[in-house]
Amino acid sequence: MKKAAGLSVIASMVCLFVLSGFVSAGTLEEIAKRGELRVACQTQGAPFSFVDKNGERTGSSIELVNLIAEEMGVKVKFLNYDWDGLIPALLSGKADMLAADMTPTLKRAMKISFVDPYMYTGSVVFVKQDSPLKSIEDVKKTGTKLAVLLGSTGENDAKKAFPDAELKTYKGGGPILLNAVIAGHTDAGVNDGSAVRGQSASFPPNSIRVLDGQLSNSPLSFAVRYDSPDLREWLNLFFLHIKLDGRLENNLNYWVNSLDWKKDH
Amino acid sequence: MLEAFNFRVILEYMPLYMQCFLATLWLSALSLVGAIVVGIIACSMRLSQSRVLSRIAGIYIESIRSTPLLVQLYFFYFGLPSMGIMLPEWVTGVFALTLNSGAYYAEIIRAGIQAIAYGQIEAGIASGLNYFQRMRYIILPQALGMTIRPMLGQAIVLVKDSSLLSLISIMELTRAGQLLTSDRFMPAEGFLTTAAFYLLIYYLLKTFSSWSEKRLIFREAQ
Repeated sequence: MKKAAGLSVIASMVCLFVLSGFVSAGTLEEIAKRGELRVACQTQGAPFSFVDKNGERTGSSIELVNLIAEEMGVKVKFLNYDWDGLIPALLSGKADMLAADMTPTLKRAMKISFVDPYMYTGSVVFVKQDSPLKSIEDVKKTGTKLAVLLGSTGENDAKKAFPDAELKTYKGGGPILLNAVIAGHTDAGVNDGSAVRGQSASFPPNSIRVLDGQLSNSPLSFAVRYDSPDLREWLNLFFLHIKLDGRLENNLNYWVNSLDWKKDH
Repeated sequence: MLEAFNFRVILEYMPLYMQCFLATLWLSALSLVGAIVVGIIACSMRLSQSRVLSRIAGIYIESIRSTPLLVQLYFFYFGLPSMGIMLPEWVTGVFALTLNSGAYYAEIIRAGIQAIAYGQIEAGIASGLNYFQRMRYIILPQALGMTIRPMLGQAIVLVKDSSLLSLISIMELTRAGQLLTSDRFMPAEGFLTTAAFYLLIYYLLKTFSSWSEKRLIFREAQ
């Protein structure tokens, strides 16, 4: 009985390693042959990638991916993950690329290969509307409880900016942080600014307040595996093209720099 | 194959794993004791002569068994504060696990009690024992002994369910694996180490249950 359990564990591990060995070079060719681009993304990451009130998947990153597939001449398959599941999904070969509002940190770049950034953003601190905390300085007090997302840039920025605060780490998407702050489990939350502003729009008006200032200034970019240099080069060229012909600006102005999308989604 | 495994990182995270292992142990132990107590109470109510008590226990058992634990947990954690009830994370977690497993224990114990021949209960009544005395001296000792195996099964489920507590920001074994994975992007190392610790808890529980089963049978033989 014990032996059998041990054997099955070993057998399943062997399967994992063998499967990961099948990921070979020539990702672009593979995608073209398959006729399908597989993309790891979030479902709770408004305004970048989320499911709107009509039940349709949409957002800035999703629209960009649709453009990518259109230019490639293939269909898209979106794979849903929580924030901390995105990189493992890419690494395990389940997805060809990762499309999220992800900062290409040096730590992440040890594992995955980022294409050139397409926009810049930063972490912000938000509190409940009636909170006594007025500024980022107030949050620096010892014992302040902060909600952060497991594996996010906000988590790192919060550790650096508020060494004396108590961090509570949540899994899922940005809205769960808003829920934790509104429910009073934490005094404040730290997450990407465009995400916080986009997501708070779906909560009752005036439930949260974003404190002035940013904790960091960080780029956002899509990512591929290091064994897909061809796909990375292609994506860099793609972003150059849409930067020059204005399609990127249109996308960001609609989704990120304003709340225009709220009317339609 | 094992070269692909980064044991250095696992060792580096061992203090975190130990801390989280102990957290899983005491959270589960507390919930287990609570769940058995709740189970015994709910089961006694379910089997009592009083229609009202029996109905209340029935509603509790059915509503818990028909809804996912994750939904219950999120309700207690995010829902109750909006109704003015604010509990610390670990209390919410233990409360949810206790209430959830309690319903299953109630059904397990009920099966054990109903397996006891009715003649014994009649004999108890004839000897002038009241309801509580019949439960305490005749029924429960036998029912609990007979149900050790299913109770162990439920205890294992409870330990595994405690992994959901990671979702309300409690540091426990599953969260340790998630942390390793999100810090170093090594899901194989992270989650296999977590799984190994759960396996360890399983063997601890199994050893304890076969020991107590032997002891019970031995006592009955005396």
